[in-house]
Amino acid sequence: MRQPTYQPLRLTAVAACVAGLLMVGLAAASARPITTAEGVLPPGTELYEEQLDQPTELFSFEAAGGKRSYLFNLGDMLFSSPAIFGGVARKAGISCNTCHQQGSGNARLYVPGLSIRPGTFDTTGALFNPNTDNGVFDAVRVPSLRGAKYLAPYTHDGHFPTLRGFIRNAIVNEFAGAEPSPQVLDALEAYVREIAFLPNPKLSPGGRLSAQASEPARRGQMLFVKPFRRAAAMSCASCHRPDGAFVDHQVHDVGSGGWFKTPTLLNANFNAPYFHDGRFDSYGQVVGYFDRHFDLGLSKDEQADLVAYLDAVGDAAEPIRRNTVQAELDEIAAFASVLDTAIAERNKLVIALTVDSVGNEWREPSENFPSHSDTSVSGGLAERRRARGAVSEMVLTLRRIAMAAADDDFDGAARAYADYRREVAVAAANMKVAERWSLFNPAVRKAHFAALQRLADLAK
Amino acid sequence: MSLTITKPNTSVRFTSRALKFCGAFIVFVFVAAAATRADARSLVKGAQNYKPFAVEHIGKALAGAKELQAAAKAGNVKAAQAAWIKSRKGWEAIEPITGEFFEKLDEAIDAWPDAKQGYHAVEAALFAGKLDEIGAPVEGLVKNLAEFEKQLKAPSFNFSAQGLLNGVTGLAYEIGENKSKGGESPYAHTSHIDMQENVEGIEAVYKLVFEGALKKKDAKLAESIHEKIEDVEKLVQVKNVKQIDQPALNKAGEELAVLLQSAAPKLGLKKPKLGD
Repeated sequence: MRQPTYQPLRLTAVAACVAGLLMVGLAAASARPITTAEGVLPPGTELYEEQLDQPTELFSFEAAGGKRSYLFNLGDMLFSSPAIFGGVARKAGISCNTCHQQGSGNARLYVPGLSIRPGTFDTTGALFNPNTDNGVFDAVRVPSLRGAKYLAPYTHDGHFPTLRGFIRNAIVNEFAGAEPSPQVLDALEAYVREIAFLPNPKLSPGGRLSAQASEPARRGQMLFVKPFRRAAAMSCASCHRPDGAFVDHQVHDVGSGGWFKTPTLLNANFNAPYFHDGRFDSYGQVVGYFDRHFDLGLSKDEQADLVAYLDAVGDAAEPIRRNTVQAELDEIAAFASVLDTAIAERNKLVIALTVDSVGNEWREPSENFPSHSDTSVSGGLAERRRARGAVSEMVLTLRRIAMAAADDDFDGAARAYADYRREVAVAAANMKVAERWSLFNPAVRKAHFAALQRLADLAK
Repeated sequence: MSLTITKPNTSVRFTSRALKFCGAFIVFVFVAAAATRADARSLVKGAQNYKPFAVEHIGKALAGAKELQAAAKAGNVKAAQAAWIKSRKGWEAIEPITGEFFEKLDEAIDAWPDAKQGYHAVEAALFAGKLDEIGAPVEGLVKNLAEFEKQLKAPSFNFSAQGLLNGVTGLAYEIGENKSKGGESPYAHTSHIDMQENVEGIEAVYKLVFEGALKKKDAKLAESIHEKIEDVEKLVQVKNVKQIDQPALNKAGEELAVLLQSAAPKLGLKKPKLGD
């Protein structure tokens, strides 16, 4: 990993061009709180976890025709496991994936008292770890981890030169977890290093626009590399290097309140809000800021062209995918496969972590099959019941594995795991049959959440 | 002595040793059948013992609902809220049987999240102080609880041991569900009380119906279940939902459900079915 270097402010074009991005529907920055005063988290908290449309997840090994390894699967599972955290995060079921959904960011995340606005979070606040509270409300934008292996140093101020240090800090300092074992850190690092940028057909190798980019974007590309009128040695591309993932691995002072690292522009359309503290919602605001701050003298048309360029560079072919029963099953299968090795190695710690994590993963889709008490949903009650029942059986069979392993009965754990693998097919079939009456169906989902909202409105 | 039985194309020779074995087997089958009948009788008796508990608690639920209705009519918000909690406690203590034996009434009484009827429709408005919005749902609640009590008290109604094991196992599983967003009664701030009553209900079913029979079959398992219920009970002895150790409760609830499942064949019952 490269160490961050520090440069004085100057007209760091960099930032200028960069920073920000915009994004999809962020304009609707209105969070939809789902918690009450009874919850572990403050009222008004929106974790934005239960969405039907999920950020697309892509791994480097997939592009290379490779396959999942044990270490990768372990890291993938741990990334979604609240058990590696402590305190409030663990009790609230928060995991790495809560903030970095499918390895991207979380533009809607909002925790009262810790977020300045949706998509930001104070990682040094008292709620999640009183021992590392710095006494300052300094929320920062939740970063995407796509392409993380190319983006050292880590955290907005570039404090951590390595991914490993960044990950350990999140576990121990930000979320009060116990000191992670070397195996846990190895696995999480292996997983995060594989999170890839999403393909962008508007971009060619070397960071040049492809034929699919628009004419305004092409004009913007010229402006992007054009020297600043007040600092001829600098341009936007000085820091956002097109041939280097649009970063320079350095921190700069661009007048935003300190020294912050150059953020990548790749897939940045989906990384809003922009700047370290998420102060801007759109590329237009970012470009306008740099035009004023560095006296770039850009016309309105030129600013629009730069925005078009940023929009082309920051795009992706398929940024969102619909969550389905099959997608959930695939993820669960990957997580549970850790048990193949963990049981054989008699690794009680990993078995326990996996059972807890995979059990939670089963319970989540289970809640998508409303019970008879949910009268906002009609039809398919028998099918929903079978699906819920089958999922509950999976959770309990997993628990049998953990109970046997805890008693040092690894043969018993292996037998229970064999049962689990056999029962998966039954659960999968029942879930697919019931999918049309579940919250995986947008219409059913709408009715369910409308009922929840009516209840919340009634309680106001 | 030997005996030869000849059938078309079949010839089987029984020696005296074989006959002894055969006799022993018949005795075994007879004894086993007798034991099974004894087990079944024990479970039937247990289920009969449980019925007064259920009747008592549905009575509390109904009495609380009637107090709620009166307090609401009198415009007394505090008394109405206290009565809602009192009624709710009675209801939650019999949750092992509500959905399993009275599905339609359970749907009307404990509907969630549809804010049209039942405890939660009343809860949301009542704990926001909106007495003028709870008239119809409270009336429906009283009516449905009264019908529940009537059906439960009917001499012809009997609990099946299998249904009770299904219900208690399902509730043990459910109690571990994530409460980080406030639990089942978030507007009344009484989700922790719901869980405490749930555990009391689980314990009542286990002790009154299954524990005695199970002790005769597998004393160690009977003791494990007893201890696990105590573990769960300790975990829900909190002053509010925020204090719950969710991961520990999740684990303990699942372990209790697993133990109850493993008790089923020893009690001559089928593995409990989970669903709602």
